[in-house]
Amino acid sequence: MINAAGFVLMILTGTQIRYVGLIDILEFKTAVNWHNWIGFVLIGNYFIWLLFYLFSDKIKVYHPELSPTEHFRKSFRQMQYYGYGIFRGSPNPHQVSAYDKFNPMQSMMYQVVMMLLVPVVFFTGILLWDVTRFYGLVELFGGVRVIDTVHVLIYIFCVFFIIFHIYMGSLGHTVSAHYKAMFVTGYEEVPGEHAGEKPEGNTPAA
Amino acid sequence: MSRATFPGGLIASVASLLLFLSFGLMAAEPDPAAALSDADKQCLGCHGSEGMTKDLPNGAKLSLHIAAPAFAKSVHKAIGCAACHAGIDPSKHPGVQREIKDSREYSIAMTAVCRQCHDEAFKHYEGSKHANLQRQGRNVAPVCTDCHGSHAVTPKTAYKTCVGCHAADMNGHQQWLPNAPLHLEAVSCAACHAPTVQRMVDLRFYDSAAKKWIVETEDNVQFEKLAKSMDADNNGLDARELRDLVRHVNDGEIAGPKTLRGRIELRADIEAHRLAEKSQALRACDNCHRGGAEPFQNVAVSVVASDGRPLRYNAHKEVLSSLLSVETLRTFYAIGGTRTELLDVLLILALIGGLSVPIGHQMMKRIVQSREKASAAAGSPGGSGTGADNKNT
Repeated sequence: MINAAGFVLMILTGTQIRYVGLIDILEFKTAVNWHNWIGFVLIGNYFIWLLFYLFSDKIKVYHPELSPTEHFRKSFRQMQYYGYGIFRGSPNPHQVSAYDKFNPMQSMMYQVVMMLLVPVVFFTGILLWDVTRFYGLVELFGGVRVIDTVHVLIYIFCVFFIIFHIYMGSLGHTVSAHYKAMFVTGYEEVPGEHAGEKPEGNTPAA
Repeated sequence: MSRATFPGGLIASVASLLLFLSFGLMAAEPDPAAALSDADKQCLGCHGSEGMTKDLPNGAKLSLHIAAPAFAKSVHKAIGCAACHAGIDPSKHPGVQREIKDSREYSIAMTAVCRQCHDEAFKHYEGSKHANLQRQGRNVAPVCTDCHGSHAVTPKTAYKTCVGCHAADMNGHQQWLPNAPLHLEAVSCAACHAPTVQRMVDLRFYDSAAKKWIVETEDNVQFEKLAKSMDADNNGLDARELRDLVRHVNDGEIAGPKTLRGRIELRADIEAHRLAEKSQALRACDNCHRGGAEPFQNVAVSVVASDGRPLRYNAHKEVLSSLLSVETLRTFYAIGGTRTELLDVLLILALIGGLSVPIGHQMMKRIVQSREKASAAAGSPGGSGTGADNKNT
């Protein structure tokens, strides 16, 4: 929850910082201050998450599928489901469980996001926070424009990803099911666990 | 015999060589004062002596010593002593002693002499905080010679001049200005403290290996010629031409040690005299951190000339937002103000792409479901729909 709100605020304040003149909701200085503080909270939060996953059995959730053939076969089935099966009411090829939370496409995406993009955006963010203090590192990576370009490219990806992500969140067995799991209960309602129970709000598709 | 004379001959030869070399070295650096006019040499015949002073009525001593080499290197060498110190007849000098109450009053009075040539600078100065303080009787407030010197007048960077008196105020910026040291390095004092001036970006060549600005020597004047040769269409350097210039200066390497360092300066340096009250100085970040901000509308590339002045060559303002500048302007970037245009295009594409996912997916849903409906209706009239309501993830 803190993480989600934090990332959304980072995107919003980042947009304000980059587009002063085009968007004038916050003053530049205020937006920079918020961006810095929320950024440090998120970095702290990231390390809590990392420690939790590294030192608990929940890390299994992030274990990659090591066989490429198997990974692509499963991903293809998942794509078929999202592109066609979901409209026909076919069952999701991936069954969610506590240790197998992500379908193959989510698993790959979250590994890229959490292990590559998020650390890189934090790292470049810290360098941009004080380019004088980190002058040596900034120069090592090719200068402030290189650092900024990488930071902004990840921001652009985040803008795309967050729209995509919010939409995908609505594709549960009901439109709100995933949101409830994320924001209210913390646990995914898995069909089959409540056999015979008709999912709430289940209405025939138009 | 030969063994006895040979070492002596060798020593004599080495000694002669050293003597020759030392004369050669001395000849290589001629005394700059030698180039002064005869009249100036005559003045410096006495005033060039160290320790020459005049006793003032207040008990203080006014130095009358002029360092000849420094004067000879100054921009005022061309006009000579008499241009400022007129009315002195060398045949009667020192005759009647001129009454000078104290040295500060003398410096202030001499500003009238500066004005004879520098009237425009003076007009700017008269509207400044410094001139206001003078008018209020604060005679410690700076006049011409406090920033520019009296006899060793050379072009100075505004920053060094200001820091001479305001070193303590530099820390004051840290109270409210984020990344204050970076701002003080990348923005000239007058760019904020003379709020009515026009600003520009000065991209100056810096040698990061030697850790100093690249200075053009008197006998190797080539910057303007070189910049012109890169400027194919003769309308200022565009991003590609600027990259070629940086590459050329670094002997073909783009990431060489000679880099461009950007700084916000004044378009007309003379306007630096128009320093306003502190309360009027620019404080709002969006003076620079905004797309299309005024300082980024004019750009020049420069080196330091042998006399300390910047030698500038115009560049297109688009060099600040070009993707090529990721390489050529590695150290100059103002968030919001000089953002790379291509990234803006990518952001728009990301927004379109992101929004097209739900729209496209919902459209696909309609197409699939209408086809399903149609085929179900065709296969079994009265069939019970598609079961699309049982979707799960």
